[in-house]
This record gives sequence, C-alpha cells and structure tokens, in this order.
Amino acid sequence: MKRKDTGRLAALLNTVSLPVIATILGLLLGALIMFLSGHDPLKVYSVMFDKSFINVNYLNQTLTKATPVIMCGISGAVAWRAGHINLGIEGQMVCGGITAIIIGLYMPGPAFLVTLCACIGACAAGALYALIPTFLQDKSHVSLIMVTLMMNYIANYLSTYLVSFPLKDTSSVNANQTMFIDDSLKFTRLFSNGQLSTGFILSIMTVIAVYLVMNYTSFGYESKMSGFNPYFAKYGGVRERRVMYLTMALSGAVAGFAGFVEVFGTKYRYSSNMIASSGYAWTGLMASLVGQYNPFAILFYSIFFSGLTIGGQALQRDFGIPLQIADIITSSIMLFVSINIGIHLFKAGRKQRTEKKEETGNKTPAKEAA
Amino acid sequence: MPLVELKDITKVYGTLIANDKVSLELNKGEILAVVGENGAGKSTLMKIMYGLEQPTAGEIYVNGEKQKFHDPLDAIGKGIGMVQQHFMLIEQFTVAENIVYSKEPRKGMFFDRAAAIRITEELCEKYGLYIDPREKVKNCPVGLQQRIEILKVLYQEAEILIFDEPSAVLTPQETNQLLDTLRTLAGMGKSIILITHKLNEVFAVADRVVVMRHGQVVGNMPIKETNFDELSFLMVGRQLTSTVIPQVEKGEVCLEVNDLHVTGAGSKEAVDGLSMHVDRGEIVGIAGVSGNGQSELIRAITGLLPVESGNVRINGIEVTNRPPRDIRDSGLSCIPEDRYLWGCAREATLEETCIMYLHNKEPLSTGGWLHKNKIHSFVSDTLEHFDVRYTSVFQKMGELSGGNAQKVVLAREVMQHSPFLIAAEPTRGLDIGAIEYVHHALLEKKKSGDCVLLVSSELSEVMSLSDRIYVMYDGKIAGEFTRENAVEESLGLLMMGGKLNEA
Repeated sequence: MKRKDTGRLAALLNTVSLPVIATILGLLLGALIMFLSGHDPLKVYSVMFDKSFINVNYLNQTLTKATPVIMCGISGAVAWRAGHINLGIEGQMVCGGITAIIIGLYMPGPAFLVTLCACIGACAAGALYALIPTFLQDKSHVSLIMVTLMMNYIANYLSTYLVSFPLKDTSSVNANQTMFIDDSLKFTRLFSNGQLSTGFILSIMTVIAVYLVMNYTSFGYESKMSGFNPYFAKYGGVRERRVMYLTMALSGAVAGFAGFVEVFGTKYRYSSNMIASSGYAWTGLMASLVGQYNPFAILFYSIFFSGLTIGGQALQRDFGIPLQIADIITSSIMLFVSINIGIHLFKAGRKQRTEKKEETGNKTPAKEAA
Repeated sequence: MPLVELKDITKVYGTLIANDKVSLELNKGEILAVVGENGAGKSTLMKIMYGLEQPTAGEIYVNGEKQKFHDPLDAIGKGIGMVQQHFMLIEQFTVAENIVYSKEPRKGMFFDRAAAIRITEELCEKYGLYIDPREKVKNCPVGLQQRIEILKVLYQEAEILIFDEPSAVLTPQETNQLLDTLRTLAGMGKSIILITHKLNEVFAVADRVVVMRHGQVVGNMPIKETNFDELSFLMVGRQLTSTVIPQVEKGEVCLEVNDLHVTGAGSKEAVDGLSMHVDRGEIVGIAGVSGNGQSELIRAITGLLPVESGNVRINGIEVTNRPPRDIRDSGLSCIPEDRYLWGCAREATLEETCIMYLHNKEPLSTGGWLHKNKIHSFVSDTLEHFDVRYTSVFQKMGELSGGNAQKVVLAREVMQHSPFLIAAEPTRGLDIGAIEYVHHALLEKKKSGDCVLLVSSELSEVMSLSDRIYVMYDGKIAGEFTRENAVEESLGLLMMGGKLNEA
C-alpha cells in the first residue's frame, strides 16, 4: 500500500510542479514589465489580487466569468487528451447558446420543462456541431484542426444573422440581440450582490462528472489510451472510430452546455458576437493545456485566469494601467507553459521518428531478400 | 597504465542505486564486453563515462588524468565516442553530411560539400567501412546507418568507442559484419567497450569481460578464463534451468489459415497464398529472416491489416477481416513484435497497460464502470506473478527497462487465458534471465492445453520450443518440419530462399 501512495504522490507532484513554476515565472515577467513602465509591482499585484480573488464582490465577478471558461476547458480536455485537437469549442458553445435562447424564448410550458429542454437541446446542438468535422475527418481525412477552427466562424456569423433578423428584439434599435428570457427561467443568483448564479455550481458538477467519466469508465479509459497511442488502442480491441465519435460528441456537448449556462445564468439573452468576443473558449483551452487536461487543475486555472482579467480591469480603473497588462501576465504564463509543452511535443516527435525508424529497420531485410 | 579507469563510480537516482562503487579499466586496443541483465546498470555507467550523466560519487581517469565530464563534448574532447542504440542521424541528409555534422569542413563561411565527401571517403578507406557518401541516410538500411554512426564517432577522433547494445536492431548478417568491424577497429589500436547481453557476441570478439548485476561488478576476467555457463550464472545470479518440453496431447485445430493473401507496404504481396494451422496443445514456430511477411501475417490474423483474399478461423469461428476486438473475443491474445508501437503506450501507467482488452470485461468492470479496487489488485497480482520489477503501478511504461516492459505485455496477454496465443519476437532485446522466463511462460501455456504461434527471427529459439516449424520465405511457407526432423542447416537454407534436394 505504501507503494501506491508514493507513486501517486510522485505522479501528482510531477504534474503540478511545471505549471506552478510557469505561473511564478509569468508573474515575475509581469512584475518586470510593470516595473519598467514605472509602477510598483508589489502594490499593483496586491491591488490586482485584492480586486479579483479577495474582495467578495470582485470574487463574485471572477467566478461568474470563470463559469463558462471552466466548461470550455473541460470540453477541450475531453477531446485533446484523446488526441483529437478540437479548436471548435467556441462554435460549439455558440450553437448551444443559440439553441438555448430559441427554446427559452419560444417553447411554451412550465419553467422547469423549458429549462430542461433548453439544456438538452444545447448539449445536442454542440455535440452535433462537433460531429460534423469528426465525420469529415473519418470519411475523407480532412484535418480536424482546420475544420473545427473554421466552423467557429460559420457558427458565429450564423448566430449573428439569427439575432439580427429572425430573432431580433425589435424594441432595441441599435443592438442586434434577442429579447430577454422570462424571469422564471433565469438561474437563481447565489448572492444578493453580483451575477454569480447556480450556473457556477453546474460548472463544478461538470468538472466532477467529466472527471468520473474519464477515470472511472471504460469509455474514459479507451479514449485516454487512444490519445496516448492509437495503435495500442486498436491492437487492444478498442473500437477506435466509435470512441472518436463519442469523445468528440462529449466534447461538443460540454461546450454546448456552456452556451446554455451562459444564456440562462448570466446574459439572459443572446446578443451578436457575445460568445466569440468574450474569448471564453480560448481562455478555457489555455486552462486546459496548462492544467494538463486534469479537470480539477482546469477548474483552478480557469478561475485564476478569469481573476487576472477581472483584476486587470481594476488596475485600469485605479492606476490607469492598461488592461493589456493582465493579458501580458496571462500570456507570459502561457508562454512559459507552452515552452514546456513544446519540449514535450519535441520529445514525442523524436520518439515517433525513432519508432518509425525501428519499423522501417525491420522491413529493410525484405528489400534485400527481394 | 590503463587508458581509461573508472574508480568507485556510484550513481543514485532517488532511492534507486543504479551503480554501486563500480570500478573498471580499459586498456589500449582492447575489446571489453560489459554484460548484465536489463537494469543491471550497464547503460548508466556508460552514460557517466560519456558525460551524459554525472556520477554521485567516484572518479574517472583518462590516461592517468582525473576527468570531470559535464557533457558529452568533454568526453569527446578526451577521445571517447559512443555509438548509440538509437541512431542520432538526420535522415534527410546525406551520409557525408551526417558524418561531418558538428565539425563541418568550411570554405570561407560556407559548408564545403566536396571536402565532406572526400573526408568520408578517406575514413571509409582507412577503416575499411565502405559506404556511398552521397546516399541519403533515409535510404540506408539499419546496418549501414549504424556504420554511419561509427564513422561519425571515428571522424571525431575517438580512441575509445562505446557500443550500446549495437546488435539489438540488426539482422544476423549485419551483426556478423559489425563484429568484424569491431575486430578491425581493435586491431588498429582503438579501444572498445561493448555493452551487450548476447553472450555469443562476447565470446566472438571480446578480450575481457565485466559482468554487472544490480549495479555492482560481480565478475571481471579475461575471456579465455571463463565460459558461457559461468557468465550466465554471474549475470542472472542463479543457475539457468534447462528447458523441459512438456508432453501434451494434441487437440483439435485452433487456428486455421487458408490461402491467405495480404498486401503489405508499397502494395507488395507480403503474404502470398499462405496456408497453415495450429492445434491445441502445441507450439508452432515460424522461422524466417524478418521481413518475409511474418509481421503482415500476424497483423492480418489479429485484424490490424486487411486480408485481400483467403480466410482465417480461430476455434472454428470465421474471423477474416473482423475488428480486432471480435477476433480477441474468439479466443486470441497476442504479444506484438513491436512492444512500444502496438503493445503499450509509453505515457500510460502500468495499471492502464495491464488492463487493455480486459477493461470492459467482468470482473474488472460492469456496465462500463471500472472497478478500481479490483483492477488494482488484479494488476498488482499479475505484475508480482510475472516478476516485473517496478516501483508503483502508477509508473509510466516508458520508465521501465525494455525487458520489464516486455514482461508487462507478456503478463497481460497470458493473463487473458485465451486458448490461442501469438508470440511475435517475444524475446527481442531481452537478457538471458528474462528470455528464460518468457520461454517458461510459453511452455506453461502449452501445458495448460492452449496453443502458441511463435514467430521469431532467432532460429535457436524457434527450434528449442516448437513442436512444429514452418519456414517462411517471401510471403510463402517454404517448408514444414516437426521437432524430430528439424535440422538447422535445412531450415537455414529455406530461410535464405534455397531449395531442399529431396532424396
């Protein structure tokens, strides 16, 4: 039993240490930039952290912003750890959001039933939207990365069209947006002040649910092994295509769910560009990569990155420091982490080449014999 | 005075002592073999000598001077060169470009290609290792790639050459050429350290042998004063038991292959109208020089490569072109020839590796939910039972030595208790202790009434274990032998594409 504990602890330390180092380096680089631009980094950081994580009102804002980021991060992790580079989380979230608002505005019936249908509809829409590029890759070997990325634009412009014409709230002249959903549909707010709603709890439940699926089901196992080595998975009897479709559907469904929560929990309506301009999907993906696809690490980093943005806004108000400072810090952390990821990829690439060489090595005698 | 002297080298990784006060001397013009099981600390010692690792304690002397190597460049500066097991070549470049890499001849500020080719030709001439300098590395077979590595080290003016398991990736013919090269180099005054666990190579070329076990030197003697049995005893730490072939009643047909055609890489007919069968209670060997369609045959049987025509039946069930899972369900398990490509994932933990295929079966899971506790005890038991040396089931496969990794793959496939097991190159790269273990496991499998298809390019292995032997050449069965009438010469002749003169 002692064996088990040390092994797990070592593995955990191994996972945690690099992102932490990267975070510290990122903060130091941010400090250097502030110092060079004539600000006291300690003072700036203390305000920044106070007005994001410590002060209750700001913490409320941070967690509200983190809610969709967490789910986008989870969505990314589901696909990426299985080796499918899903860059279309944004588009899938848009599909979920737009489906949720349509059901929320136009479906008659009791509030709980409408909410449930909107939720299921949003997840289904996200999943279907993720399955299109999966199907294209499976049938005609189109690059999943390219198609998922490009489909973000399709989803976003389509949603813009919808809220500008058929779904437009005609009472607002300037903005292209829908009407608000009925008060009975809106998620309960957790505190009297601030926007934080039960949506945050839903995002934590998503984290736990995906953690369970990934670690305690044979689907999660198969999906993980396919990501590690698809040949091994195939040889071991994993139905790799089925796992690929399921994985991408789950990834898309989580993204769609994020869209539903954003509409029903925070914005209550859909205005053009609201998901694309927020960058939730990309922040989430960043959290996912830094957290190395671990759901709980993603939860942590999503909140951390969201807090940096909220704190950054405070800096702009209090010190006149541009919002971009916060961006620089998050980007520096990302930079340091991606150096680490880059090294990993480089190693993986080299390993694959040697493997390939060994394989061709085995084949060469055939040439000689023939 | 010895050319190189290592004194009391100790290397500790965390709690693992890889080298424990190891001392070693190398004289000029000598071939020193360092033998030991996988994980005995040979590679660590050589990495220290080549500056890739720093010793925890101990000293290195070259020509009587104390050295401190911070990196391989320091070692190269002192005339120490290493031919790695995995070649560090740039495949898109030519032979000459690879050889002069990092010390290129220049003309002004430009690379002097003509000089590079001249240098290469001179090197080839000097050491009698011929190769076309203009050929691209990717077009060279493995044996030639190794030759490039050797020339590269010689170009760096190495006086001491370390070879890390050089024959692991070579065919028998290439191995013989390599051994000749080693003798030539030693004859020219170079000193050579040969790390290996193949004792026949040791006896073929070495002047002296150092045996390592558990990080310590347990033997150091001139080759003339020792013999095969003594060395293997020192390496393994116990007497090897001689293989006893159990007598098992032959049962019904388990695997049936009829007129199989499989297309391999480059749309070549890799398996060309092959028919064979394996019955319960027997071990059937496939002998052949690797690359004669064995890999494609196995992949076709296991469902990893499409069958063009013909059919495969396992336990009477038609499995031609079925998905791998269905084929496994019909009673097949398989130790793949490339354990890191098909057999496991380096990033996966031992636990994850061990449950592949069994993960969605009772008792390890029900209704798609994994039973973590059962999995944990199943994996621990399996690993203990197969004597895998590991520190935690959460260790990554890539951290295990090759022999241990192979044991994990073997353990998983044997623990599936399927009636039919394919063992493809099950002992490639393994030391004698582990080989004995694998052979024992295969014979146990036979004893329990199951059958084994053994594919191996080691003829001795096929001959010692199999009840029946097929010789495969150019995608076809070139001949069939029973244990009684298998003669090494006839097998060897058929393997090379020759014909037997029927009397």
